[in-house]
Amino acid sequence: MTDQTASNSLSVAGQRLIARFPFVPAAIILVVLLALNGWFEPRSLSFGALRGLVSTYLALMLLAMAQSYVVFASDLDLSVGAIVSLVNVVMVTVMQSLGGDPLMVLFACVVGIAVGVACGLFNGFVVAALRLQAIVATFATSIFFTGIALYVLPVAGAPVPEAFWLTYASSYFGIPFVFYVLALVLVILTLLARSGLVIRILTVGDDAMGAFHSGLPVTAIRIKGYALCGLFAALAAMCLTGDTASGDPLVGGQMTLNSVAAVVLGGTALSGGKGSVLGAVIGALIIGLINSLVFFVGTPSEWQNLVQGLAILGALMIGVLVSRRAQK
Amino acid sequence: MKHRLTAVAAAATFIVAGATGAFAQSYKIGLSNGWIGSEWRTQMIEEAEAAAAAWKERGVDVEVVVQSANVDVPGQIAHVRNFMNQGVDAIIINPNSPTAFDPVFRQAAAQGILVISTDAEVSSSDAIYVGIDQTDWAAKSAQWLADTLGGEGKVVAINGVAGHPANQMRVEGYTSVFDNYDGIEVLNEVNANWDQAQGQQAMQNLLATYPDIDGVWVQDGMAAGAWRAIMDADKTADIAATGEIRKDFLDIWAENDLTSGASVNPPGVMASALNVAVFMLEGRELKEPADAGQYGNALYLPIPFIDGSNFEEVHEAVEGKPGYYSYTSALSIDDAEALFN
Repeated sequence: MTDQTASNSLSVAGQRLIARFPFVPAAIILVVLLALNGWFEPRSLSFGALRGLVSTYLALMLLAMAQSYVVFASDLDLSVGAIVSLVNVVMVTVMQSLGGDPLMVLFACVVGIAVGVACGLFNGFVVAALRLQAIVATFATSIFFTGIALYVLPVAGAPVPEAFWLTYASSYFGIPFVFYVLALVLVILTLLARSGLVIRILTVGDDAMGAFHSGLPVTAIRIKGYALCGLFAALAAMCLTGDTASGDPLVGGQMTLNSVAAVVLGGTALSGGKGSVLGAVIGALIIGLINSLVFFVGTPSEWQNLVQGLAILGALMIGVLVSRRAQK
Repeated sequence: MKHRLTAVAAAATFIVAGATGAFAQSYKIGLSNGWIGSEWRTQMIEEAEAAAAAWKERGVDVEVVVQSANVDVPGQIAHVRNFMNQGVDAIIINPNSPTAFDPVFRQAAAQGILVISTDAEVSSSDAIYVGIDQTDWAAKSAQWLADTLGGEGKVVAINGVAGHPANQMRVEGYTSVFDNYDGIEVLNEVNANWDQAQGQQAMQNLLATYPDIDGVWVQDGMAAGAWRAIMDADKTADIAATGEIRKDFLDIWAENDLTSGASVNPPGVMASALNVAVFMLEGRELKEPADAGQYGNALYLPIPFIDGSNFEEVHEAVEGKPGYYSYTSALSIDDAEALFN
């Protein structure tokens, strides 16, 4: 009797917790994956290794954030990877032509952000104003953006000024630069989560017709969601450029679907209307840790892709099951 | 009884160990492959694993750990970092980007890890490239085509992915050869993304547009498709075109008596790189430093060529193999040793 009451109150608490913080299941999976990685390869939890993990996946975390703001409005952006490539080659080309002076590097970053936002606005215009299907329209713009990237830099190459990538790899006061960026990202996403814009995006995603009837400018809000997505894709491109120190017109292409997967793993529904950006950031790390774990447990090479896919499916199912139980 | 057996076994092990030097050396080598879209890559890894096992006879224990999956560029950077965490002695990588690994290779080199790229060159000064010269690969088959056409004729080219460095080098390779012949006219150059179906489609379009094509320079991965279009158009006897090194294509080649020639990009390149890596780990020095290529860090391997003159021999060598098996070649341990002082 008491047991049941206890478990009931526990499930009520869990229910409240997950309703308030939809990323909780993802966070639990993250902790379990970290522990498993550490179990199979103790050195993977060393300070240097964790720093490597963040350096590697910061770009995907930001790209998952970018994708979240679009998914919240029940849209999708299949061009985020192409935007990353385009911003990457534009920044590198600007840096090359202006030299490695820190001020010029900063200028290149501003240009990169402008390009990202412009791409986002273009996507938003095509999807929300012209009312084309988001999946197909952004698939088409991804080919378009890749085309521009290939025009800007036809073949991978073009080293980045050391001032840029050495900063990305450096430490200040004993703490790696990437950890500061991660902290800043977390602050920004917390502030944004409470902003009017994100709440309006969620409202549109929940019930676009209802939002329209209540007087919200639905089209403008969806376009702003895409612009926000372009902005964070540009920031992702900066991190990728920091970790790769070069321009490559095809570098981001394969990151697109990973960004969608990260969003879903983080507990956000593709149907829009609710979700958590922090969850998407955690989802990006989950993808990375699964890839490493598959290797550390010693999976034979011919099975690695299969096991990776199954593990991501598994993580997805655990997340869904936990959320559902909590909602009962 | 049991104890006695153990003792005998232990003594036997001791003797055997004494005879072979008891694995005087043991190395751990990480293999990273970032794309699994073709059987060529699977064969590449299998051959490298076999090459590692072959070192046992020399008393060197080479353990390979493999990461092979479809990953984006950050995902393959993670491969390298995972290897660093495991403490490998060397990393051999078939890279997804020529330039993106510069910083992470520097970090690996700082840990004393030897980094070798294969199949695709990398710009990093902390790594060397062991593989074929893609420019020369294309020049060889272009030369064959020019010779077969007697230095005269109308030619089309079907290429892979625009913006891919290997594709770029191959275009430079055949262009440099065709430029030497006034009689060779390149009618058109198209991209078919290293995809058989797109290659076939491209060839159909080209045949429809230019009915008097004499020669086709087409890259591997699309040549079988292009040949299918040529055969469908009943032009097998009139057109000379470059070919593939896969068993199933070699069968078609034999059956239809095609006029074809193929530069071999052997999946054994990773095995060759592994043998070079072990000698470098042993502290041996290359006779000729690896300083070739556009990045000044390449050690180019010989490129075999298949044409009418040696076709029978090659076709016999792949007899009994599955259709996806690629004709291969690799530096043996002795071949690799000949490169060192």
